[in-house]
Amino acid sequence: MRSVWATLLSVWLLFAVIAVLAWTRQQPAPSQSPVIVVKGKNGTQMLVPATTAATHATTRTSPVAAG
Amino acid sequence: MIAATTSTAVPVAWLVARAAGLTALALLSASLWLGLAMSVRLLAPRRQKVLMGWHQTLMWCGLSMVALHGISLLLDPVMHFSIAVVFVPGLAPWRPLAVAAGVVTAWLMLALASSFHVRRRITQRRWRLMHYAGFAAFALALGHGLTAGTDLRGLTGLIVAGVLAAPAVWLVYARILVPRPQPGRRPVTPGAV
Repeated sequence: MRSVWATLLSVWLLFAVIAVLAWTRQQPAPSQSPVIVVKGKNGTQMLVPATTAATHATTRTSPVAAG
Repeated sequence: MIAATTSTAVPVAWLVARAAGLTALALLSASLWLGLAMSVRLLAPRRQKVLMGWHQTLMWCGLSMVALHGISLLLDPVMHFSIAVVFVPGLAPWRPLAVAAGVVTAWLMLALASSFHVRRRITQRRWRLMHYAGFAAFALALGHGLTAGTDLRGLTGLIVAGVLAAPAVWLVYARILVPRPQPGRRPVTPGAV
């Protein structure tokens, strides 16, 4: 019975430490952010950082309803 | 043609290796504390057997974590540790002394854990002498964690080392200072004269 308790204690301790290490893991550097591989027609490859699309701004305003 | 790839995968082997190493250090420390508590006779004699059982079991659990630590390092795609590096001290290309301390600790722990089962074959005196290797194993494990590990750096490492070593140091002092009862002699209690 003691062995069972000791094994449970050890495994839970291991899981707890893994959780803490994973939680405090440093985020990857910006250079390691997701990239998009763009393949050209002639077989060349180019890595392009995958950035979120910018919100589209408009300079035109909706016309005010007449009246 | 556009193909998206990501490089944000979780390094599972590396996380398990670090966690198993830290868990092994904690279990080895707990086993050492219990062994010293037995030696100091901190608890009543009828509790000594329970302490002995936990002392032995925690040592084997710690050894299991050491095995997981080694296996995870073997599987880690970054470290490129071979089987020889994990088993033979001094072969590691990365921080050889610090890694060697860890390998020697593992062998010492295996010897100590096995010694419980051959206690009757080797004499009690030899078993006790062999048990002093536990102090070396603890010191080497702590040194390995502080110098080879990436988690026990700076102030965090010092705090963890202090927390783990303080009970051991206190119990060693208690063992040295507190007189051990002589066999066959009744302990003198205050007011009995």
